[in-house]
Amino acid sequence: MSTLASPGFWAFVGVVAGIFTIFALGLQLQFGFTGLLNFGQVAFMAIGAYTMAILVVTVEMPMWAAAPIAIAVAAAFGLLIGLPTLRLRADYLAIVTIAFGEIVRYIALNQHDLTGGPQGSVNIGSPETPASYNDDWLAFQGKVQDALSSVFGNVSKDTAMLAIVWTVAIVLIVVLQKLVKAPWGRVLRSIREDEDASSALGKNVFSYKLQSLAVGAALGAIAGLFFAFQFSVFSPADFDPLTTFFAYTIVILGGTAKMWAVPVGAIVFGVIFAGTRFFDFPPFSYFDSGERAYLRLIIIGLILIGLMAFRPQGIFGKREEMVLE
Amino acid sequence: MNANAERPILEVEGLVRHFGGVAAVAGATFDVREGSVTALIGPNGAGKTTLFNLISGFYRPERGTIRFAGEQIDGKRPHWIAHRGLVRTFQITKSLARMTVLENVMLAAPDQPGEQAWRVLATPGAVRSREREVRHRAHELLKLVRLDALADDYAGTLSGGQRKLLEFARALMSSPTMVMLDEPMAGVNPSLGLQLLEHMQTLRDDLGMTFLLIEHDMEVVMTVSERVIVMNDGRVIADGRPSEVRVDEQVIEAYLGAHTEQDGVEGRTA
Amino acid sequence: MSELLQLIANGLVTGSIIAIAAIGLSLVYGILKIVNFAHGEYLTFGAYMAFFVNVTLGAPMVVAVLFAMASTALMGILLEFVLWRPMRGRGAGLMSLFIVAIGLALVLRHIIFLVWGPSPRQYDVDVFQVYDLGPIRLSLSQIVAIAIAFGAIVLVGLMLARTRLGKAMRALADNRELAAVTGIDIDRVVAYTWLLGAALAGLGGVLLGLVQSSFNPNMGFTLLLPIFAAVVLGGVGSAYGALVGGIALGLVMEVSTWAALAGGVASVYKSVVAFAVLILTLLFRPQGVFGKARYV
Repeated sequence: MSTLASPGFWAFVGVVAGIFTIFALGLQLQFGFTGLLNFGQVAFMAIGAYTMAILVVTVEMPMWAAAPIAIAVAAAFGLLIGLPTLRLRADYLAIVTIAFGEIVRYIALNQHDLTGGPQGSVNIGSPETPASYNDDWLAFQGKVQDALSSVFGNVSKDTAMLAIVWTVAIVLIVVLQKLVKAPWGRVLRSIREDEDASSALGKNVFSYKLQSLAVGAALGAIAGLFFAFQFSVFSPADFDPLTTFFAYTIVILGGTAKMWAVPVGAIVFGVIFAGTRFFDFPPFSYFDSGERAYLRLIIIGLILIGLMAFRPQGIFGKREEMVLE
Repeated sequence: MNANAERPILEVEGLVRHFGGVAAVAGATFDVREGSVTALIGPNGAGKTTLFNLISGFYRPERGTIRFAGEQIDGKRPHWIAHRGLVRTFQITKSLARMTVLENVMLAAPDQPGEQAWRVLATPGAVRSREREVRHRAHELLKLVRLDALADDYAGTLSGGQRKLLEFARALMSSPTMVMLDEPMAGVNPSLGLQLLEHMQTLRDDLGMTFLLIEHDMEVVMTVSERVIVMNDGRVIADGRPSEVRVDEQVIEAYLGAHTEQDGVEGRTA
Repeated sequence: MSELLQLIANGLVTGSIIAIAAIGLSLVYGILKIVNFAHGEYLTFGAYMAFFVNVTLGAPMVVAVLFAMASTALMGILLEFVLWRPMRGRGAGLMSLFIVAIGLALVLRHIIFLVWGPSPRQYDVDVFQVYDLGPIRLSLSQIVAIAIAFGAIVLVGLMLARTRLGKAMRALADNRELAAVTGIDIDRVVAYTWLLGAALAGLGGVLLGLVQSSFNPNMGFTLLLPIFAAVVLGGVGSAYGALVGGIALGLVMEVSTWAALAGGVASVYKSVVAFAVLILTLLFRPQGVFGKARYV
């Protein structure tokens, strides 16, 4: 292996892993704990990013007000699609949620006036002036960077972002862990096991599914916000179904129904994903960088198949539980 | 005999439900008296489990009404009905396989503030203390059904008979007014079964709990129940004391007839 | 009016391609209860196999079509023996199989990306040759596509109705438990179903590549949701339902852009119309047009 990239690159990978962690936490709650096959999670990421950007650019709302609104809007959409679809059986729910995700992406792609169309966030608002929504965040990030630098010496922008994203991720994991270990989480798991049994024991299954969906949607939106902050621009192409599939890989890789497994899965996934850039030995050396992108996705696909075939419980799951499914 | 003995806790009238053109329940009418142990019997395919599903809200009746403690419950959803104090168990047991035996029973506890997300975060103390109560009561019920040693095992590892016992314990957890048990003794060893029946009678005598059992074991039916309701072809064909029902001509006819015909498919069609 | 007729003609073209692709998906879904999320990639594979024969090797389209069907069928049966059957043998549940299908889709699609690259491709046919049939204008490709598609539909329809294998397929897809007790060799019928479904998918892929001015490795995935919509609309497990559903969906998608319908849906949103049909069908009549309502 020749020179692996600079620490700066790995800080970047860490940020992306952190964003994916938050994104996958939502999926862990919906799929891992509640058994909801939501394959449209990326739509909530898009709704979070776009709502915030649109509010900041067109209405000139400060980002610190726009962001919570964006999260609330995503949660509201979660409730909205949940209401008619949560009584569908698992595979139908999967298809419907993919369709929902695609509808959101199509709207983002084609409603130029609202979302800026294919060029994405730069095009929001008036087409002449490139739109920017990230000033507030970058200022905040700068402050964090300065604060960290005064303690740890020279800290890069990406490292500051890394610290922020992972702090938020860990706080979210702690809160979610509390919730799922509590009787609330017990109800969710009972829904995953057998809805009818849960219902017969007096639990309002529908309400809990909606809650799971809404909280998951909010988490997806938070990930979308961090995505927007990190890259300062985004477009509809950033929110395609592949992202949701990656999150499923992460959740299954770490182990379903274990909150603390998600960051581990995300980091492993991130390392595999980014690391293949630098493998200079065959067979990787035969492919140029464009081709390696495809190779990465083939590897991800094989990992998914391999996991389901040989280790469906993931890294931290228990074999016994798989047998009981 | 207490004064409640004559008052019906469950009133079913003219219940009708078809599946794919076949009438699974074709006009069932009967009452269950409060504080009684009542048996529901009938040949396979008579519609007994479908009836349970209708009463507990899993199926919607096409015609007819159901009243529980004077309140109309037909058309209501299962969790609402369970909340009102009418719980049921399943013929094909529904254990929550990847949860422990203890969790299965604790789940059934009512009034656990920890089941609301905001209370987990806002009032953790109240949640914790209720959990302690719930865990204690769950262990008691598990001791009753002799499953306490397996409390931390996954429910999915239990045998068929053990799952029946788990369903029984779960049903009692919420201190219900009435319990509908669908073949509660199937696969359970006879002496334990006997103890459960005695416990049922104790609950009936001390707390006025009502039990409606679907049972195939005629000895159990005759010795334990005060009333027997007989179904055949989706209808109630007899309703009375065990001694009366056992010599009822229609009942004998139904059972003899069922032996010569092929068994029907009862309950859910998928 | 002539605009409407043109849209109907276009709808029949799109619809018949969706129908062909939907048959295989519906039968597999009905028999194995697997949502083969990789089905779109079977189409793409067929399209590129035809490209290889027609453009790289310079053979006529007829040969390319046959090769595409054969090679995709082969891939389909190979995957059954190498992937699906072993997974079923391990007792994999529906969710596991769904995720396996997603993994498979990723692998197939990106192998195609790796080999042929992302640039749009075309077949070696005259794309400018058009024919006017009254008020309707169709390109040679569209006419060829619709002719082949309808021919295939008739053949498949006959095969399903008249042959023992066809009847066994339909029976198994409709009610597996019941069919099994009649002594049908399930594994054999399953294998043939994959063969048929994959061959049709390969054919659908070539036809799709023909009627679009160009195609790329995402083509199958782009059509996947409309194909699902057709399957659900017709009733899962019903081959005839998939046929009717596909054609109906194609018509709905094209005619929805008709200006007379309050300005019509914008052309870019045609797929969204398909998604809407899918969602509405699942909400209001999940058993589809030809399915029986199931009480579970």
